[in-house]
Amino acid sequence: MTSIARARKVWLVATVLFGLSAVVACGGSSANSPPAAAAVAPNPAEDDIAEGLMEHHRNHHHGGVTLFIAMSLDTLGVSPEQQAAVEKIRKELHAQMEPARTAEQSVTVALADGLAAGTIDTTKVDTALAQVSAAAATAHEASAAALNELHAALTPEQRGALVDKVEAHWAVWQKANAEETASDRPEGGHLSSLAKDLALTDAQVQQIRASLAEGMKAVPRLDPQEIAAHLHAFGEAFRGDTFDAKSLTTASGADAHIVARGTAQMAHFIETVSPVLTPEQRSELAARLREHSSHDPSASANP
Amino acid sequence: MTRTRQAPMIRNVVLALGVLATGCGVEVGAGYPGGDYDVYPPDAFIATTAPVYFEGHAAYWYGNRWYYRDGNHWNHYDREPPALYQRRMQAPSARRAYEAPRGRAVGRPEARAPGRR
Repeated sequence: MTSIARARKVWLVATVLFGLSAVVACGGSSANSPPAAAAVAPNPAEDDIAEGLMEHHRNHHHGGVTLFIAMSLDTLGVSPEQQAAVEKIRKELHAQMEPARTAEQSVTVALADGLAAGTIDTTKVDTALAQVSAAAATAHEASAAALNELHAALTPEQRGALVDKVEAHWAVWQKANAEETASDRPEGGHLSSLAKDLALTDAQVQQIRASLAEGMKAVPRLDPQEIAAHLHAFGEAFRGDTFDAKSLTTASGADAHIVARGTAQMAHFIETVSPVLTPEQRSELAARLREHSSHDPSASANP
Repeated sequence: MTRTRQAPMIRNVVLALGVLATGCGVEVGAGYPGGDYDVYPPDAFIATTAPVYFEGHAAYWYGNRWYYRDGNHWNHYDREPPALYQRRMQAPSARRAYEAPRGRAVGRPEARAPGRR
C-alpha cells in the first residue's frame, strides 16, 4: 500500500467512526427527548381563569399599577428560598394599598345601597370617588421601599417576568374596562358582562347603550399612552441591575389615573343601568357588588 | 498529499460534523425560527400562570408549546427541550384564579393536569 493509499484509508475509517459517534450521540439524546407535540391553538374564551381575571379587573382598581405589581407576585414562580421574603413584600404592598381599597369599598357599598333602595345617592358616590383617587395617588410612594426590596430579592429573569406580567395585567384591565359607546361594543366590557350576568333583554341592552354616552360623560379620561410610557419606564428600570422606585416620577400619576378612571366608570355605569333594571335585577346586581366589596381575592395569600 | 486528494476527505469530515450538529439539533435542540407566531400566550394567561425559568427566560407552556419572551416579541421552542418536558411532567404550571366565572368570589390558585394549558 502506498503512503497515499494508507492515508486515504485512515481518513475513511476516521470519517466512518466520527459519523457513527454522531449517530450514537444523537440516538442517546433522542431516547431522552420528549415526544413531539403538535401545536394546538387554545381558545382563550374557554378559559374560566382568564374570565375571572377580567371580572376582577372590572371591579377592583385600587392601587393601579401597584396593584398589578402585587398581583404579578402571585404567579411569579419564585424558589422556596425566596418565598418568605417575596410573600412579606406582597403583603406590604397590599397593606400600603389598603386606604385606596377601603375608599373603593365605600363606592361599591354606596352603589349597592342605592340599587337596593331604587335610587342611588350620586353625591355620596362622588364623594367616595374623590377619596379613592386621593388614596390611590399615595400608593406608589408608600410602596417604594417594598418595591426596592422586591427588586433586590428577585433574579434578573424573575424581574423580566414580573415586568411581562404587569404589562399583561394592564392589557387585561384595558379590555375589561373598555369604553362602551353606541358603536364600540367591547366583548369583555361592563355591559357585555352585565347582560350575561343578569340575563338582560335585548331591549334593556339597547336602552342602556343609548344612555351610556350621556351617563359616562363624568368619567375622567385616561390616556393609554401615559400609562404605557410609565410601564415602559418601570420595565426598563426594574429590569436593570439597580432600581429605585422613588425615581419613577410618573408612577403616582399613573396609579391615580387608572384608579380614578376604573372606579368612576364602574360607578357611572351602575348609575346609568339602574333605572333600566327590574327590581329583581337591581337586587341581584346589588348582591354582586356587595360580594365584590367584601372580598379582595388578590390580597389573599398564595398556597 | 495534493490539494485535490485532500478535498474528498475534508468533505467527509465536514459531512460527519454536519450529521452530528444537525442530527442533535433536530432531536433535542431548541429552534428559533423566524416564522409567524399567530398563536402566543394571551395576556390573561401570562398574568395568571407561573412560568418555568429556563435558559434565562420565563417559559410558559401554552397550546402544547413552550413560549418565552424574546425582547419585545414572543418566541417558542420548535422542539420541547427535555428539561422543560421533565418539569412539565413533574409539576404542572400553577394558575391563579381571582374570581369565579359570573362574579362568584374565589381566591386560590388552581393546578392544571400535565399537558393541559
